Amino acid sequence: MNLTLVPISGKAKIKEINHPFLRTKLLEMGVALGNEVTVTMRAPFGGPIAFRCGNSNISIRLEDAHHILVN
Amino acid sequence: MNILLFGNPNCGKSTLFNLLTGLRQKVGNFPGVTVEKKTGTFSIHEITHTLIDYPGVYSIYPKSQEELVVYDAIKELQSSAEPRVGVVVVDASNFERGLFLFSQLADLDIPMVLVINMIDLAGRNGIAIQLDALKNELKHTPIAVMNARVGLGKNRLLDALAQQIKEQKSENYFGINPTIFEPEAFEQQEADATKRQQSIRKLAERVVVKKEVQAQKSKLDWWLTHPVFGYVIFALILLVIFQAVFTLSSYPMDGIEWVFQQIAMHFAAWVPEGVFQDLLCSGILPGISGVLVFIPQIGLLFFFIALLEDSGYLARAVFLMDRLVRPFGMNGRSVVPLLSSMACAIPGIMATRGIPNAKERLITLFVAPLMSCSARIPVYTLLISVVIPKQRFLGVVQLQGLVLFALYLLGIISALGIAFVMHRMLKQTTRSIYIMEIPDFKPPHWRNIFSTIFEKIKVFTMEAGVIILALSIVIWALSNYGPTEERANAVRELKAEATYAKANAKERNQSEAAVLLEHSYLGKFGKTIEPAIAPLGYDWKIGIAIGSSFLAREVFVGTLSTIYAHDEASGNFRLREKLMREMHPDGSKKFTLASGVSLMVFYVFALQCLSTMAVARRETGSWKIPILQLVLYATLAYTAAWCCFQIF
Repeated sequence: MNLTLVPISGKAKIKEINHPFLRTKLLEMGVALGNEVTVTMRAPFGGPIAFRCGNSNISIRLEDAHHILVN
Repeated sequence: MNILLFGNPNCGKSTLFNLLTGLRQKVGNFPGVTVEKKTGTFSIHEITHTLIDYPGVYSIYPKSQEELVVYDAIKELQSSAEPRVGVVVVDASNFERGLFLFSQLADLDIPMVLVINMIDLAGRNGIAIQLDALKNELKHTPIAVMNARVGLGKNRLLDALAQQIKEQKSENYFGINPTIFEPEAFEQQEADATKRQQSIRKLAERVVVKKEVQAQKSKLDWWLTHPVFGYVIFALILLVIFQAVFTLSSYPMDGIEWVFQQIAMHFAAWVPEGVFQDLLCSGILPGISGVLVFIPQIGLLFFFIALLEDSGYLARAVFLMDRLVRPFGMNGRSVVPLLSSMACAIPGIMATRGIPNAKERLITLFVAPLMSCSARIPVYTLLISVVIPKQRFLGVVQLQGLVLFALYLLGIISALGIAFVMHRMLKQTTRSIYIMEIPDFKPPHWRNIFSTIFEKIKVFTMEAGVIILALSIVIWALSNYGPTEERANAVRELKAEATYAKANAKERNQSEAAVLLEHSYLGKFGKTIEPAIAPLGYDWKIGIAIGSSFLAREVFVGTLSTIYAHDEASGNFRLREKLMREMHPDGSKKFTLASGVSLMVFYVFALQCLSTMAVARRETGSWKIPILQLVLYATLAYTAAWCCFQIF
């Protein structure tokens, strides 16, 4: 399952990010494999989604969120 | 000494920069790129130091063009032996993430100061940092705990800086090899980052005390990103901003023009008549006034943009709009600059700085002038009142209002169309990334907002203003000078006319001004281009008005009134009636539906604004883009106007 399928307020644990650029970028932002995230917002019409990880709320485009695999 | 300021986005770095330097700031660009470089000065024990503000980053490895500036600066630092101090500002609520950037910099042999900022918010998030334990871990780094928004901890920071400036101690705390990898070496960066984060997590376990707090569930975000309410709220906020910018800016704008008219009148009385007086009173002073008159709009618009940004709403608007503008090669961040351009393209183009991707920024900047700005309103309303009948369309909608709306829509649609074409034509040089932190809502910080306004006004006046002033003087000269003999003859002929003898002093002056304008170089220009603009339905009088309105579009109306002041047949009618009565030699009306619509459409497209060009040059670093805009939009305007004249 990937992050785009998690509903608002749904929690998920990051299993893998299968894109080197995204994986590095998110790691630097404090989003590491194994972290628990909560989806907070979804923009309409297939726009970006936002998730909370620790104390930060990070938004990312849907096409990038497809690369984030979760449990 | 140079003090280098680093930190994550939203860590309160700018607030801290403003707190330390106040108004002693200078804004420029980093070499070779249009990424803002802010430097400021402050003193400790009467020694002045320079503070350099770098763009907010999560890591020294660049993920966008803006972040490349930080990478380049750090590479340069590594090869120089010059004494310096690096400051890393850490948001206490995101301690581990901030410390990650700190660790990368500390490992590079840069003497560091660590600022733990926003300590009040961390308390509310249930996070407490044990300072003594942290000092024990980072022995050679002075640490200042702060809440920069209220100025708390400023003295602690100054003490920490004074200590590090004197001691110049650096330490590789995490025992990781201090090499700088290539920007594209993601595997090495990732391995390095993983190791760092492991040590940082262990450190955090020893110094950070976390308490479970009930997460505040904000209903606000649900409303703001709702598929219906989200867009309605965004539209309402924009509507309020435009209304405020229009109504509030008109008073100071009138004031500035009035003051300069008064100054010009007084100078005219003091300075002896002649070329110098004319240059001063009709060239330089109106030129300065023409630069300053933009300041209320720029100030007000940036007041609202900074307010939206500082409060955290802007990030939600970007989140909401990103999907809608992506097919046009733009980013959620393009929306505010584009919509600002409906008030005035100048602050709109200046606001494109917030777009991190170079291609998306260029597209936004390029199409911004197509959004109908407030200076086009006088042109549109005059022409609509002349050629569009006061009727109701389908019995309900005011036809004149409908035409005005259609002109705005035409601007928006063409902007999107050109953006789409550019998106297809331009190669993407860097990744279009949209990974953005959405900050929590917080009350706006007035010092930050006023510092933004001050900075934008300063940049406009000092950099674009000079160009605008110089070109205004050129256009003034063209409209005030012409072949001397020809002008003298024309005035003599005018004085021989029967109507002139009957006219009063004021009418005589107006007629003379009109005749002189007709025989100026600008008038010659109008007559020379008449064959070229005849297919659009214009004569040389409109040619002059188009030429002179290059200073600012609304000048079109003023020039037409000067030209039509001398018109025996039209007598004392108002400009609108004069235009309606204007006839071709064969007796047909000059301002018909066809020529009127053609002229309005011309103004939708044509880049009739020197100031916009000057700002586009400043923001892109060369004349290439503004000249391309000028040529492309002139071609477009000509073609569209010709089509309209043929159709109607």
